[in-house]
Amino acid sequence: MISAVAFIAVAIVLCAAAVMAIFGITNVAMSGPKAIENDGLHRGLAAPAWSLPDSSGRILASPSAKPFQLMVFTDHSLKSFPSVVDGLKILASQTTDLEIIVLLAQDNAAAVGVLRLLGLGDLPVVTGTPALYGRYNVRVTPFVIFVDSAGRVRASSLVNHEWQIMKLWRLANIPLSPDPVSRARRFPGGRQPAGVV
Amino acid sequence: MDVLVLGAKAALAVMLLVAGGAKLADLTGFAAVVRLFIPLRGLAPAYKYLATTVAVAEVILGGASLSFPAVEWINLVVLAAGCAFAAVSVLGFARHRGKSCRCFGALSRRTFDVPGIVRSALIAAFAGVATVGVSGSAVRLGAAAQILLLAAAVLVLAVSFTAAKALATVPQARSR
Repeated sequence: MISAVAFIAVAIVLCAAAVMAIFGITNVAMSGPKAIENDGLHRGLAAPAWSLPDSSGRILASPSAKPFQLMVFTDHSLKSFPSVVDGLKILASQTTDLEIIVLLAQDNAAAVGVLRLLGLGDLPVVTGTPALYGRYNVRVTPFVIFVDSAGRVRASSLVNHEWQIMKLWRLANIPLSPDPVSRARRFPGGRQPAGVV
Repeated sequence: MDVLVLGAKAALAVMLLVAGGAKLADLTGFAAVVRLFIPLRGLAPAYKYLATTVAVAEVILGGASLSFPAVEWINLVVLAAGCAFAAVSVLGFARHRGKSCRCFGALSRRTFDVPGIVRSALIAAFAGVATVGVSGSAVRLGAAAQILLLAAAVLVLAVSFTAAKALATVPQARSR
C-alpha cells in the first residue's frame, strides 16, 4: 500500500516536472536570444520578391524603384512600441531614398486604424500572408528588413527602439561586399556589429 | 530503496511518453533517422510507418508503465526498449557520429555522441533496476489511481507533442 502511494506521488511529481521542463525548453528555444538571432534574412541574400496592392488599391512591389525599401512587419501591437513609431516617423520625414511599407501578415482593419492613430497613416499598408512572413523568416514583430533596389537584404532585425532602426538604416547604407577580404576589413575580428544580421 | 526503484520506473515511463509524443510531432524527421539505420531502397515508403510504429510503441509503453505499475512484464519490455536505445546509440555513434538522433523530436538537438551512449546506458540501467526492485503486488493500484495516472500521462504526451510541433517551426539557422 505504501509502495503504491509512493509510486503515485513520484509519478505525479515527475509528470509535473516533465511538463515544466518542456515549457522551459520551449520558451528558451522559441523566444531566447539565439532563436531571435536566427529570425530574418542574412545581409546580402536575395529578398523574396512580391507585388501586392496597398489599402488604397495601388500596386506596390519589392524590390522597389527607390534605392532602398524598408519593410515593417507589424500589426496593431505597434502601439506598444512608441519608440519604434518615432524611428519610422524620423526615417519617413528625413529620407527620400527610402520607401517604407508596412506589411501585415493578414487582413487587419484594427492595425490600419492604429497606424493612423499613431501618425503613420501616410505609410502604405500591404496585406500579406503568414506564408510571406515565413519566406522572410519573420516570427515576431515589429521586425524590419531593409532591401536595396537590386532586391538584396541590407539589414534585418527585430526592433524595439528608435535607435535600433537608425542603426540598421546606417548599416543598410554600407555597400554590400561579397568577398570575404573586404568583409573582414569592415568587421575586424570576423564579427559584425550587433544589429547586422 | 523502494522509492528509488519506483522513481526509476516512473521516470522511464515519463521519458517514454515525452520521447514518443515529440517523435509523433515530427515523424518526417524521425523517419530520416530510421532510414540511417535501415538504408534499403525498397523500404523508402515504409520509413514513415516504421517511425510512427516506434513512436506509438513508446507512448503505449510509457502510458502502460505509468498506469499499470503492477504488471511486471511491462518492466521487461521497458528493459528491452532501454537496451535497444543503448544499442542504437552505440551503432549511431559508430556509423553516424554527430548526426541528430531525433530521440526527442524537435525538443532536443542531441546527436549520436559519447554522452548519448552514457545516457542510454543509464536508461537501460534504470530499466534493469525497475525490473527487480519492487514486486508487482506492492504497487497494485485502484481504478481511480490508474485513471489519475493515465490522465497525467495524456497531459505529458499532449504537452510534449505540442511543444515539439511548435519547436519544429523555429528556424535553426538562417537560410543562406
